[in-house]
Amino acid sequence: MNATNVYRADASEFVAHSRRTSLVCTEAGTTAPEGPNKLEPCAPSAVPVLPETPRNAAAVPEVMGGSSATKLVFNPGWEREDSVAMSVGLGIAQIVEMIREPLQQRRPLPAVLDALCRLFDASVEGYFSTVLLVDRTRARVRRALGPGLHSGCNELIEGQLVSCMEAPTRNFKPLGSSPIFSLTGELVGIFAIYWRGAGSPKPCAPALLQQFSIMVGIAIERARTEEALKRSEAQLARAQQLSSLGSFSWRPATDEIMWSEELYRIFELDPAVPMTLDLIRARVHPEDNARFREVTDRAQTGSDLECEHRLRMSNQSVKYVRLVAHGTRDEEGQLEYIGAIQDVTPRRLSDEALDKARAELAHVARVSSLGALTASIAHEVNQPLSGIVTNASACLRMLAADPPDLEGARETARRTIRDGQRASNVIARLRALFRKKSAPIESVDLNEATEEVITLLSSEFQRTGVILGVELAEGLPSVAGDRVQLQQVVLNLLLNASEAMRDIDDRPKRLAIKTERDVEDGVRLRVRDVGAGLPEDSKRLFQAFYTTKSYGMGIGLSVSRSIIENHHGRLWAEPNSGPGATFSFCIPRAPESERRAKGPSIPAVRPTEHVMSNL
Amino acid sequence: MLIGLLVTVVDDDQSVRESLPDLLRQLGYDVQAFFSAEEFLNSPWVGETRCLILDIALPGMSGPELQRELARRGHRIPIVFITAMEDDTIRHRLLAQGAVDCLFKPFIEADLIKALDAAIPTRH
Repeated sequence: MNATNVYRADASEFVAHSRRTSLVCTEAGTTAPEGPNKLEPCAPSAVPVLPETPRNAAAVPEVMGGSSATKLVFNPGWEREDSVAMSVGLGIAQIVEMIREPLQQRRPLPAVLDALCRLFDASVEGYFSTVLLVDRTRARVRRALGPGLHSGCNELIEGQLVSCMEAPTRNFKPLGSSPIFSLTGELVGIFAIYWRGAGSPKPCAPALLQQFSIMVGIAIERARTEEALKRSEAQLARAQQLSSLGSFSWRPATDEIMWSEELYRIFELDPAVPMTLDLIRARVHPEDNARFREVTDRAQTGSDLECEHRLRMSNQSVKYVRLVAHGTRDEEGQLEYIGAIQDVTPRRLSDEALDKARAELAHVARVSSLGALTASIAHEVNQPLSGIVTNASACLRMLAADPPDLEGARETARRTIRDGQRASNVIARLRALFRKKSAPIESVDLNEATEEVITLLSSEFQRTGVILGVELAEGLPSVAGDRVQLQQVVLNLLLNASEAMRDIDDRPKRLAIKTERDVEDGVRLRVRDVGAGLPEDSKRLFQAFYTTKSYGMGIGLSVSRSIIENHHGRLWAEPNSGPGATFSFCIPRAPESERRAKGPSIPAVRPTEHVMSNL
Repeated sequence: MLIGLLVTVVDDDQSVRESLPDLLRQLGYDVQAFFSAEEFLNSPWVGETRCLILDIALPGMSGPELQRELARRGHRIPIVFITAMEDDTIRHRLLAQGAVDCLFKPFIEADLIKALDAAIPTRH
């Protein structure tokens, strides 16, 4: 036993200390405190501050080992037969076994402490011991275990303040106590001893007291650790359940898989069945098989894994799961993955619902601008129709002439076809702009997309007397996005600007649209009008259903902003120094990969160009 | 064949400028076509024109503005307006201001002939 023993000459106290416990007791042979039966030294504040924590912590493992319990060192003045020492040692060995029993068969802590007290009481004549467990506040006794005390004594102590405990009975003389601290330094209990003999207590071996308080400390600490472990396991299981996240480990070489309870629940498999890769594979959605195989293939290399795939359950329902795993190698070089799989189905479904709602709203906004454009659209379609009808009439007359003008008829027929094409192009463009589904992300030339919108609006501007100035920067980088949605934003901004100038009659209704490179390597588009300007509370402009118009739903700008933000860009409004306002948006350029995907840029030759040029 | 009756078309739409003159020639008229009001006003054909087929929405000077300008200059040319923007209010206003007719694109040959007959009654 290698405890540090310190004699404090002034108080004649013996202080023994080990890593786990501090023991304070009056030195054997001296008179115990008289008067009111207070367990004075047991108050935490009364525990002498120890000079330092000893480094030699061998005491605990030795005791834990059991055999060393026979190595008790006795005070030279303490005369006892070896057989007694042996029986104490054997008793301690038994209790050590009790503490070390597997968790399932373990006796509860009070039973172990009870046994310890009984062993102490039986070992030292006239001495009685008690273990006081303190509550969470560290201020009161939660549980008193003193099997040798009068019945009812323990109950009397329970609930008392640690700092001023009344001794249970005058028949017991408190001799001393040892506070027991947890590994984290919190007071968890007190080991106290009493004398119940006539006269002064007989001397007792401090080492024995120390041994017992160490044992009490170990028993309490062990119980606490296990309780904490159980609690943290329960918390982990609950956390996994709450977050729909399960953990696993996997050794690719042997396909040993450890699967958490929550994962069994997510995969809807029987937790009693050992997990195999085949079982998992059977759950993977057939369309994601290739993706899953790619992950398991990659696992052979030891690199970290990350993947999102679907599961198909027995009832054909689909779950989305996300997997992340980190590969490590053990000392034998065996690869093992530790990872987590989360059921992200609710998130995916709500994302999908959100996307759908956003697309619906965008569509509603487009359709409401369609209403504003009806006249212009009719104009766009009626022009080529007019050509078709007139050409056909001319053609018939040429054929009916005598002699028939065949060359003229052929020419008018060709023009009829061309005008038919032109009408269908107008319709196609409108359909693209007003169709319900939005296109996938592609590389978009903002200038080209803007020009198409301008073409669509040119007759509207002509009708409303708006003079449009167009300034499109050359060599603009393309952006990654949904072409139709971006066109919708441009359309909204132009229509809003035009609307803002509706009642202007004292100055030309000048509307300027400009594209340019943005400072941060993106593109920027500005629409500047000379209209009524911004309302006082211009932030509300971008709120849904805010409108200054007598018609329209007021969702154009809020939808526009959400579209631009979806493109990782910004949309804002600012007043002009003169009359009117400028609305601008900027979006980052397409990433390198998107531009490569587009291939070498070919000068844009649009089939509609030659017929649209005069619009 | 009617010789010497000049019908002038002013429309910024190319297919109208191509198809309408063809049909008018088939109907026996001489035809001149212009892209804008200004082009027409600057041409030598203003005085010769017996009927003006005029688009309402034009770049620069609009159709009705040209009508007023011609009146201001003392030219009394019968005008048949054509427009791709169907709007009865505008049609009535134009007729009230002295237009012979106002046709909505696409118009059929019969309506065109009727308007021309109204514009050039001496034809028969």
